[in-house]
Amino acid sequence: MSIKLLGAVCIICACGGMGFSMAAAHRKEESALRHLIQVLDHMGCELQYRLTPLPELCRTACEDTRDVVGQVLLRLTEELESQVAPDAASCMRAAVDKVGKLPTSVRKNLLVLGTSLGRYDLQGQMRGIEAVRIQCRTDLEALTLNRDARIRSYQTLGLCAGCALAILFL
Amino acid sequence: MKCAWNELLNILPVWMRQSVDELGRQTLLELRLRAGYPPELKRQENCVHLKRVVSEEDLRYIVNTASQYSPWAAETVRHGYITAQGGHRIGLCGEAVVHEGAMKGVRRVDSLCIRVARDFVGIGDDLRSFTGSMLIIGRPGAGKTTLLRDLIRLRGRRETVAVVDERGELFPQGAFHMGARIDVLSGCPKPQGIEMLLRVMGPDTIAVDEITSQADCDALIRTGWCGVTLLATAHAASVSDLKKRPVYQPLIRCGLFETAVVLQADRSWRTERMGQ
Repeated sequence: MSIKLLGAVCIICACGGMGFSMAAAHRKEESALRHLIQVLDHMGCELQYRLTPLPELCRTACEDTRDVVGQVLLRLTEELESQVAPDAASCMRAAVDKVGKLPTSVRKNLLVLGTSLGRYDLQGQMRGIEAVRIQCRTDLEALTLNRDARIRSYQTLGLCAGCALAILFL
Repeated sequence: MKCAWNELLNILPVWMRQSVDELGRQTLLELRLRAGYPPELKRQENCVHLKRVVSEEDLRYIVNTASQYSPWAAETVRHGYITAQGGHRIGLCGEAVVHEGAMKGVRRVDSLCIRVARDFVGIGDDLRSFTGSMLIIGRPGAGKTTLLRDLIRLRGRRETVAVVDERGELFPQGAFHMGARIDVLSGCPKPQGIEMLLRVMGPDTIAVDEITSQADCDALIRTGWCGVTLLATAHAASVSDLKKRPVYQPLIRCGLFETAVVLQADRSWRTERMGQ
């Protein structure tokens, strides 16, 4: 009996953990998107007023941060400084691949940002960054819509699914 | 002779570096790259071509590495060039983006002309005795900028020289020896730069490279007789050619420059008094 109970507790914990981890991933994606928008704001200002070169821009943008966006920017700085890839888009792709697991929307927006960097005129560059920023805001709005209810649902569903499975197996 | 050669090699695609290094380290003047054709190395003695064909990706690589992946950061793209580290000028050619009649940038690069910046210290020693305003003229590639750089250094030994280095070719950061009495304003358009330096830096001499537009000439004329001497360069094969060019006529009429240094094809020069 005690083994059955132990098994049931394990199933409930596993399913509950799944629900909680999905909720945590949701929060992480939201926070990464917020950070990406901040980075884009910073980039926009720096480009408009200082014409900062891209490696320096990425380095300053990822200072004092250790989240996924910061890691990608750090890798991107390294890629840009190593001068191996022919363009910024290839550098961004390499940086994103090196960091590995990224929230889907963040990955997508970073890759789009990579292709929009390296334009020959400043206005075009600013427009490219603005387009990515708008897309990030749209993704963020979609994430924050009914966020609390959705996070609660993930957690509850995880726990309930665990309980249901435990009852079934018992 | 001094040249930021490694800086030049670093912006080239890896496959090209060794050949360019072997063939051009001492005498390369220009490297011309066209998509679909082999690179052309214009050397002092002759022209040579490499075997492998240049791809569009190679051209993109050069523009990106020369501009630190930030071609938009170079205001000069709209004028069709980028200055790489070491003062090497990269001329861009391809499909231009034009907005409201003005060139905004380049959509696609089809060919590049990389002019190697070299510094010859002491080539202007013979002109040391000339103290007034001086205009250096010559054909493209005759060595006007190189001579101007040395003259600035010579003047800088005895007086304060302010330089408007619009294209960053005269004194690229850390590449060439400058001198303690030389102030360089780089990246600024000449008309604004000349007036600004006159007001704020108290120079004895103002130097500018390649006066090409009416605005440049107007700025020089406004600066004339303000107690500063001028050093400048212009495109012309001779003084008589210079006089025929409408853009320079006001400059010549007002007698701002006392001496013209005319550069010859064989890299020698002669000086002429500038008549009105």
